[in-house]
Amino acid sequence: MDGLFSQLVVLGASGMLMTALIVLWRRGVPAYITAYRWQSWLLGGLTACVAYFGRDPALYFVAAALILLKGVAIPFLLRAVERRFGAQREVRPYVNTETSLLAAGILVLFAYALARPWMAVTMLPTRAGLPLAMALLFVSLFIIVSRKKAITQLVGFLMLENAIALLAVVGTYGVPLLVEFAVFLDALMGFLVMQIFIYQIHETFDTIDVEQLTRLKH
Amino acid sequence: MIEAIAVLTQTLAFVALAPGLTGFIRWMKARLQGRRGAPVWQPYVELRKLFAKERVVSKTASWVFRAAPFVVFGTSVAVASLVPLVFVPTAYDRIGDLFAVVYLLLLGTFFLALAGLDTGSPFGGMGASREMTVVALTEPTVALSIFALALTAQSTNLGDIIRQTVAEPVRALGTGHLLAFTALFIVTLAETGRLPIDNPSTHLELTMIHEAMVLEYSGPYLALVEWAAALKLLIFFVIAANLFLPWGVAFGWSPARLILAFLLIVLKVGMLAVLVAVLETRVAKLRLFRVPELLSASFVMALLAVLSTFLLR
Repeated sequence: MDGLFSQLVVLGASGMLMTALIVLWRRGVPAYITAYRWQSWLLGGLTACVAYFGRDPALYFVAAALILLKGVAIPFLLRAVERRFGAQREVRPYVNTETSLLAAGILVLFAYALARPWMAVTMLPTRAGLPLAMALLFVSLFIIVSRKKAITQLVGFLMLENAIALLAVVGTYGVPLLVEFAVFLDALMGFLVMQIFIYQIHETFDTIDVEQLTRLKH
Repeated sequence: MIEAIAVLTQTLAFVALAPGLTGFIRWMKARLQGRRGAPVWQPYVELRKLFAKERVVSKTASWVFRAAPFVVFGTSVAVASLVPLVFVPTAYDRIGDLFAVVYLLLLGTFFLALAGLDTGSPFGGMGASREMTVVALTEPTVALSIFALALTAQSTNLGDIIRQTVAEPVRALGTGHLLAFTALFIVTLAETGRLPIDNPSTHLELTMIHEAMVLEYSGPYLALVEWAAALKLLIFFVIAANLFLPWGVAFGWSPARLILAFLLIVLKVGMLAVLVAVLETRVAKLRLFRVPELLSASFVMALLAVLSTFLLR
């Protein structure tokens, strides 16, 4: 039973990592949003799985909230932002695709090495998900720093938030419900604030390319 | 002795079923695109037609051009005899492992590229150069994803990998297997010239890869090359199906098990074929310069698969 549980956790976590890798390869904003939606659904499913095997009914609510908020609401809002600006493509990220994929590979290796001592001390059946959650954390940070468009950076931020949620779920079977919801609301607020920023950037510069922000200096 | 006959029968089944798979994918694609499509057995009819035609060989062609179709077809059949389709042989299992499979297939590709260069036609050279670019990128990916499987099973032998996965079914859900499967699937599309890397249904287009190499072939030569291409597709599908989802592969000789195994492999390969048909209907061909990006993505996945099996044990 434990074997199946830990394999399911690993499966979900590696699926989430794969969606982050897909983002590194794809260029269109709709593909970014789709990848984020898949990742959130996987996170929701994984949380429900932990709730079932860890016998923690409160986590079912967390899973439902995750799917509603991150799997449905935020992608919907992202689509609205994307539609408003038309077809914005991440044509030239700071790092080209091959290099960023290889960099992601190295980051994952780094995360695995970093999580090794941690895996040695914990005995949870979900511990195999820890290195993957760390890897997702690093890869989404890399997405944020290597992209130029505000909206793709936003997707990177949301993936980072997903990675932290994943870390909480596999590392400690989830934090208390209250804290979890506070984090959700924080993320939602952060998202809304960033959305307003994107609109402002677009209004001022006629583009959401953050490189243009350097023009503010003059 | 019984096993030798069984292996022979299995290989013949491989060779006989391969054009059917190509026909099925074509038919499925046609249905998905709202066309009626040629019947599933159309490739067999085409092969018979090609075998009856005369061979036209360019004056500048050397023996390489004449030998290549036989090498390509021969290596494919040899590989087919190594891959377990419905049952895992016990004694004949030791002849070749995954590395033999990969490099025999590569030998065929190499000769096809040589034949493309041999006649000196511009299209042939272009196709050969592109094919070599793609193969140079897919080959390390195949080796790595196989390495990931071999690390879990502690053996590169196909039969051993299948046995290990059947013995420990939860392993098949691990990160390593998942990533290796994705990498191998992308490589399958690249190696067998499917969309989005190459377009299997067009001739005389500047973007073609496989078709450009075999452009000079006609008659029975072309039939052999086409048949070998179909066989290669089936081999990759069976490897993907039987190594990653090995349930149903027979280990013994009871007829019921063998029939069940056959039905299951038809089902599994059919599912992969439907997946490819849906994919080919949905995606457009990539620009040639984006192909290395896709292949490096699959390489990174294979690398992560190895890392995961190695570090997450």
